[in-house]
Amino acid sequence: MADAIRDFFRELEKNHQPLLGKVLGTVRFDLTDAGGTTDHWLVSVSRGDITTTQEKGKADCTIRSDRKLFEQLIKGEANAIAATLRGAIICMGNVELLFAIQRIFPGPPKKRQQQGEAMASS
Amino acid sequence: MTTSDQVRILNGNTFVVSDDRGDIEASSTDPTGLFSFDTRFLSRWILTINGQRLTALSTDDLQYFDARFFLVPGTGTVYIDSKQSVIRRRSVGTGFSEELSILNHAEEPTDLTVRIEAASDFADLFEVKDALKKKGAYSTQTEHGKLVLTYQRETFARATVISTSEACEIDQDGLTFQVHLEPHSSWKTDLNVAISVPDVPDARQDEAPSVLAWEALRAPSDMAVDLQHWLEAAPRLECDWDSLRTSYRRSLIDLAALRFSPVTAGGHSLPAAGLPWFMTMFGRDSIFTSLQVLPFTHELAATTLRELALRQGTRVDDFRDEDPGRILHEMRYGEMTAFEERPHSPYYGSADATPLYVVLLDEYERWTGDLALVRELEFEARAALNWIDEYADLQGNGYISYRRRNEQTGLENQCWKDSWDSIAYHDGRLPGFPRATCELQGYAYDAKMRGARLARLAWDDPDYADRLEREAADLKRRFNEDFWVADGEFFALALDVDGSQVDSLTSNNGHLLWSGIVDDDKAEAVVGHLLGERLFSGWGVRTMAAGEGRYNPIGYHVGTVWPFDNSFIAWGLRRYGFKDEAAIVAAGILEAAEFFDGRLPEAFGGYPRAMTKYPVQYPTACSPQAWSTGTPLLLLRTMLGLHPVDDNLVVDAALPSSIGRLELLDIPGRWGQVDAFGRGRVDTRWRTDGS
Repeated sequence: MADAIRDFFRELEKNHQPLLGKVLGTVRFDLTDAGGTTDHWLVSVSRGDITTTQEKGKADCTIRSDRKLFEQLIKGEANAIAATLRGAIICMGNVELLFAIQRIFPGPPKKRQQQGEAMASS
Repeated sequence: MTTSDQVRILNGNTFVVSDDRGDIEASSTDPTGLFSFDTRFLSRWILTINGQRLTALSTDDLQYFDARFFLVPGTGTVYIDSKQSVIRRRSVGTGFSEELSILNHAEEPTDLTVRIEAASDFADLFEVKDALKKKGAYSTQTEHGKLVLTYQRETFARATVISTSEACEIDQDGLTFQVHLEPHSSWKTDLNVAISVPDVPDARQDEAPSVLAWEALRAPSDMAVDLQHWLEAAPRLECDWDSLRTSYRRSLIDLAALRFSPVTAGGHSLPAAGLPWFMTMFGRDSIFTSLQVLPFTHELAATTLRELALRQGTRVDDFRDEDPGRILHEMRYGEMTAFEERPHSPYYGSADATPLYVVLLDEYERWTGDLALVRELEFEARAALNWIDEYADLQGNGYISYRRRNEQTGLENQCWKDSWDSIAYHDGRLPGFPRATCELQGYAYDAKMRGARLARLAWDDPDYADRLEREAADLKRRFNEDFWVADGEFFALALDVDGSQVDSLTSNNGHLLWSGIVDDDKAEAVVGHLLGERLFSGWGVRTMAAGEGRYNPIGYHVGTVWPFDNSFIAWGLRRYGFKDEAAIVAAGILEAAEFFDGRLPEAFGGYPRAMTKYPVQYPTACSPQAWSTGTPLLLLRTMLGLHPVDDNLVVDAALPSSIGRLELLDIPGRWGQVDAFGRGRVDTRWRTDGS
């Protein structure tokens, strides 16, 4: 499943991200798996352009969670703000970057939305 | 801050609600406690002396952040001749501190057992009235001279830490002091109730605390000094009418209390919606209040614009009624939000906050000339304008309408009149969903016109500006055909699903004037209705006209008079040149304020003024409400006819003659500071004296 996370960041690097168009800074994700191993993803955002390295470098904002939750976030199955409120995400440093970077997580999976669309047209 | 015998003090979203003795004894019907981040951190805090409760002699809550309780031991006697008196001085910061003093007035020494019972249910604000069962576990520790109350559910942890300056015995349920008092001597202890948002249990000691933990611990600034600065920075009001001066000062102080600083705002504040239960960010309330107070302070608008932008919707999420570009309705921080049992992280179910966001951005620029912020927020403003056409036109007919996608905990009515029966036909029937209420179309029109101005001025995009103006003109043309109730000569409240007119006469017509969507040749008829007997009570414009099927003078949105509503109606009347009518509305509302010591309630009864002679307050849980607090300020603007034009502030006063002379000095803006003067000349008595 680490591949899903890698793929997510690689995909972000490919295109300019308008939702992060004003963001300048570094965010480090510290993701711990069930065995206690922690991966570090250092995401550098330069006005919508993203580069990612897998290292424990210094960051303006550090976001710590378990890897399973992060996998849910990048599939739209969890919400980063709610997760922060319940302590499942621990954010240190510049919290504005957390609010900004969580914009890149997708909405809930299609199945839930189709139910919504069916409701809207019924 | 007192309603009946409750005492409320607060600092941002941390507040204490107690009885007049200072005791907290929460129950489902008595929502008292220490609250912060929408969580109750203390639900029991009861002082006894020798096993007896106390009686209040008097209570002072001179400042919104501290209170003093003067008490005597014992209860239930008609005449109390006590040998001791007790003073609790409490101030709220992060949690609260309480100085407890006991004075012995007797000729003899005395020994007292002083006990404070303490407990917390850690209820979410949403749970307080519903008494829902908690899913986490409680624990209590009594170590190192502290009583620590903790609640834990998975990674969600909240704790209350109680400590004291004097030695005491600590048990699971509270603190006990054995106090010996010599004749005519006194004893005191400082009690401290700290709130804590602990990190995950394995957090390393050498790391910085998490943002939430840090926020909970943030030391408050000196609140008395801060309030003084706030008052000194505001324009000075001089006038002959004492009551207006009282209302103005009350509004400024209440606005200070209503300031809320989100964790991302770097210490800057925006207006929360109401005190104490709505001390959080609301799209609609924060925007309307920021608009009302722009002539007096710019910070609230700037912070509102920035913070709402940071939380603007970016995806389609049915649970939160979120769409890309949508401005939030309400943000909450409690357990139910954290576990997604409520959608407020944030919740987006508001159909008006998004166009109003663009209106505020433009109005802010007109007052401040702050083009830098307009450029900084270009992306969000465009996304908001895009939302109007891409996501809000649920019926594909070119109008904003709303229908919740979260059927369980979403809001049914997503306009400001959000009670279940507020949108009704003349015959009382309720329309289906989606609903296109009329004022939403006015806001959309105004947003497009103002967006066009910003596109030319700051975004260097004249093509976009042209497009927005074309769309606005088309919207206005269609609106004046589709919503105009020809035989009544007013605008329908809404369009139903099948396009038929929801034909009640309502105050929404005034908001349409404010937004500028009303054809000039229809304005006079609309104004005639607003000031006519069916809508105008003598104190103000009713939410719904007398004679409508659901009209009820004490119905929340179907007949009461809302001060905030009237302030925007007065602004709308000015926009269309009806200066005297605007003065009449202002006079009625400001005269009503006299009956509330300058603090306008959220709403009062729509009874004719001649019938009751005084405004009958509608009972609400929150006082002050932000947009009622902002009302006297916006009415000052409309009466003085303050209108920013480039780097000048135009003053065109039309004051009720009852005011006499009025001066507003040092009005801040892109012009530096200017003064505005006016003299009462509009005879409003024929409309407002109730005869």
